[in-house]
Amino acid sequence: MSTTAPLPAHTDRAPALLAGYRPLPGIRDELVDEAGRLRPHWRPVLERLVGDPEEVERAFALADRHQRDSGVYYRVYDEGESRERTWPLSHVPLVIPDAEWSAIAAGLVERAELLDALLRDIYGPGRLAGDGALPAALAAGSPDFLRPMVGLPNPGSRRLQVYAADLGRGPDGRWWVLGDRAQAPSGMGYALENRVALSRALPELYGAMNVRRLAPFFQTWRSALAAQAGREASRICLLTPGPLNETYFEHAYLSRYLGFLLVEGGDLTVRDGAVFVRTIAGLKRVDVLVRRLDAEFADPVELEHSSQIGVPGLVEAVRAGKVVLANPLGAGVLESRALLGFLPSLARKVLGRDLSLPNIATWWCGQPAEREHVRAHIETLAIAPAFSARPGWPLAPEPTPGFELDAQARARLDALLERRPFDVVGQEVVRLSTMPVWRDGRLEPRPFTLRAYVAATENGWEVLPGGFCRVSGSADARALSMQLGDRSADVWITAGEPVEEVTLLPSPAQPAIRRVTGYLPSRAAENLFWLGRYLERAEATVRVVRCLAGLLVESNEAAGPAREAVGRLCDLLLAWGAAAPASGPGAPAIIDQALRSSFSAGSVLRLLGEARRTASVTRDRLSTDAVRALADLAALFEHEGVSVTPAESLDLADQALRVMAAFSGLVQENMNRLSGWRFLEIGRRIERGVLTGRCVRRLAGLEADPASLDALLEITDSQITYRSRYLMGALRLPVVDLVALDDGNPRAVAFQVARIQDHLAALSNLPTHAALDLPQKIALQLATTLRVTDVQDLGHDDILAVENRLMELSTEITARFFAQTPPPAEERA
Amino acid sequence: MIYEIVHTTVYDYDGRASFARCQLHLEPATRDGQRVLAHALEISPKPVESTRSRDFFGNLSVNLAFAEPHQTLTIRAVSTVEAAPGRPAPMLSEPWEAVRAAAAGSQDLGSSSPVHGLFGARHTPVSEEAAAYAAVSFAPGRPTVEAVSDLMRRIHADFAYDPRATEVSTPVAEVLASRRGVCQDFAHLMIAGLRSLGLPALYVSGYLRTVPPPGAEALVGADATHAWVSAWCGAGLGWIGFDPTNAILAGEDHVILAVGRDYADVAPSSGVVLSSAGHTLSVSVDVRPV
Repeated sequence: MSTTAPLPAHTDRAPALLAGYRPLPGIRDELVDEAGRLRPHWRPVLERLVGDPEEVERAFALADRHQRDSGVYYRVYDEGESRERTWPLSHVPLVIPDAEWSAIAAGLVERAELLDALLRDIYGPGRLAGDGALPAALAAGSPDFLRPMVGLPNPGSRRLQVYAADLGRGPDGRWWVLGDRAQAPSGMGYALENRVALSRALPELYGAMNVRRLAPFFQTWRSALAAQAGREASRICLLTPGPLNETYFEHAYLSRYLGFLLVEGGDLTVRDGAVFVRTIAGLKRVDVLVRRLDAEFADPVELEHSSQIGVPGLVEAVRAGKVVLANPLGAGVLESRALLGFLPSLARKVLGRDLSLPNIATWWCGQPAEREHVRAHIETLAIAPAFSARPGWPLAPEPTPGFELDAQARARLDALLERRPFDVVGQEVVRLSTMPVWRDGRLEPRPFTLRAYVAATENGWEVLPGGFCRVSGSADARALSMQLGDRSADVWITAGEPVEEVTLLPSPAQPAIRRVTGYLPSRAAENLFWLGRYLERAEATVRVVRCLAGLLVESNEAAGPAREAVGRLCDLLLAWGAAAPASGPGAPAIIDQALRSSFSAGSVLRLLGEARRTASVTRDRLSTDAVRALADLAALFEHEGVSVTPAESLDLADQALRVMAAFSGLVQENMNRLSGWRFLEIGRRIERGVLTGRCVRRLAGLEADPASLDALLEITDSQITYRSRYLMGALRLPVVDLVALDDGNPRAVAFQVARIQDHLAALSNLPTHAALDLPQKIALQLATTLRVTDVQDLGHDDILAVENRLMELSTEITARFFAQTPPPAEERA
Repeated sequence: MIYEIVHTTVYDYDGRASFARCQLHLEPATRDGQRVLAHALEISPKPVESTRSRDFFGNLSVNLAFAEPHQTLTIRAVSTVEAAPGRPAPMLSEPWEAVRAAAAGSQDLGSSSPVHGLFGARHTPVSEEAAAYAAVSFAPGRPTVEAVSDLMRRIHADFAYDPRATEVSTPVAEVLASRRGVCQDFAHLMIAGLRSLGLPALYVSGYLRTVPPPGAEALVGADATHAWVSAWCGAGLGWIGFDPTNAILAGEDHVILAVGRDYADVAPSSGVVLSSAGHTLSVSVDVRPV
């Protein structure tokens, strides 16, 4: 296959790259063999990397930019604070030849088969315990052995729906399972995103190496889930713990990719044993829940009572057999480390053969002989909790090599082995193989683990060809955690011949053409509505600032015809909270604060922060480009503390308005005309109507001077229309008519109301509502008022009344469409 | 001895509750020598959903949903139960170390298996402190029933009954430090102590007779739901009830309502309410011999 790779210009650097690459003694390396010779399946990668180093860096920078721009992040927690961190991509993919992968995949399927059988037995007849094949204490000891789930009906032949295994390669070249994941395996979304980024950065290499595609796996899995629903038009939701979860990005990404509805516990309700999602059109039945919420927190009525993120009654719905969960509640019982010690014998008993993909050797101290083995070999073993660490576990929660335990820890361990030996396992210490990472133009070996994924389908198990590879930040790796700043890498399973082209872009898995993609959850509608409002308020603020800065740059503030307009514009910014009265003397200080202050709640910086927050929780509904535009926009304002001149502010405002126009364009052109888009639009229209009203009152009152009227025309982008209609300077009544009453002017108040009417009418075409609802009535009244009012009769108080009515409309829209989702007030007996 | 038990629970919401879902453990089951002769549940307002089921530990639970907006929720459970006859403490029992080994080696995953009493739960985390307190009663080779009884008596002697000292969420560690609490705290402490030593124990919620027999003193904890401990004393003896609040074995003064790993498994009522404001909860229990 290497013959198809493009030949680089600097082949002479290949030996140099390899010569500087030093695998660790006694550790297997993926790139080179024991003699330091390049393994053949890596040759195309190496040849790609020996090109012009600057060109290589540029390609990698492209991948990084893609990750950053599409908002790929995960959340890290340190010292009580949480923040988002961009996803660190290691640029060199892990390469595994197809033939080798086939053996791994077969081993994974075998394990999935075994674990599924265990799960069915543990929650069913419990025969394996009775036979002595699986100690009862080992099943009962897992915090994820959920007693309410014992004996419940199981729709479908399998219980396990999705399974992941963390793999490592030992010094002998064999792949080993380090741990099984069945609770709610994470990382598939990141694997997809890594693939998109890297295949864009290295397109020729990616094409030439015949890398197996990831998309077919997801299509198959999606169909398999849909098939289980047992209804024609099944609704599949992905249940997330919410935006504070460390992998929330992944939940949003996967649900968008797979076409699932992203829901939080508060979006769902159980009625008569069935699960429903609250949408803007009422309650809609949910058939399948892809669960990314730990089972313990999934139902405050029957599981953890204090959970605020679960679905009250979910266990009852499972008991009624009316919802399929992937994975089912309680599947986490398969993750116990102690279980690893029994899988070899269970495989022989249940499958009738040895596991071809073994796990690391594990001794469960709940058995006397195993406990004595661990005691005798403590220096060479790692000590770990047999189940996930509970409160009261006296040692480190992660596996710790026995020789690292100090005297005090040893004493605690000895006491534990005496009193509660079944809480402890000893495991062989893992020495992971290394793969190359790119650092400063050189390759360096780093230990890694690979998470592989298996999904249940009607026709057996489907394995994702690839996975989520985590690369250690240092050469010494025993514990790998993304939280600790490691990187992740794409995984390339390379076929000998060209692979079938399947797009990674969202595409329906079913051939049926659908125009409606389902109902919008109330929470998502509300977030989009507020995104619209925040963005519009930010834009209006920037427009006022630009106008004000322009006046300052053109003329002297202290005197001249613009003096009064400057004062009015400053008042406007102060009145809507963009700047605080104490911001310092003079317009320049107010401008600076209105744009970039982190203290005034109405500054552009703060408004964009709010906009990004609402966008981040509706990430599944915005295009990547739109999210990117928002990030660019916010970045413009993040230089607080540097004092700037009005001319610089003017320039900044211009730039910002250009990016805002880009965002609006993206939303207009790319966002499907579904209800989500309408709520974003309604939010914008309400805000624009209110703020335009305020501008009219401040700048076009009875005493208004020409400069203020000009300012109003500029802020509302109406100069050209005005000049084409009136061949004279700005006069009060024509200006007010144009920006308030003219429903042909896209920035006029009347125009906003007309659009709101359109959107509300479209939304109420949703079934179950015949008569005009309250928001529609208010909009109609407003439209009529604006229509029948003559401009000479439109006074300050009339405009104020319109603004107040628009605010009322916002309240009523909230009540009509969003109010079904107050965070449930938790009450406990 | 036959009792009629009236258990009334009233939730008063400060605002209106629009939707509520809850689970009740208010129906005693015929089990462990006790017989339920009659049971009735009166609920106001009327629930829109009501499902009765038997849970893992054999308790009877009822799941309810209310859709009608309401300001007060009243649940009245009336049960007629013939209590299990009291039995004297067994004179002979295996050494506690043997019981510990037998529990860990159990081949039974069913609901009466000792393995379900071995592991920490929300209100009963194992800890070195709880182990240290309990260990005083567990000299090497001591017969299990004797050692567990000793632990029960020590808790009764060392801890003051004080309803104002704790609430449902007070952790065992705090009770251990303050040496005060109520029956629920004592049960949780004793369970945590036993489990920390590797011995199986479960939480029992139930009732005590309110009116003492002529000439006898009223038992503590009679006007509300009571709580005690079920400890596994080996395959031969099985589960035995120990009441640390009164330092007696559970007998014909005790009626079992539900058994679980801790209070959270068997709370008489638990659930969620959609309501803007808080609520007050009042409970009354009346247990009369008939």
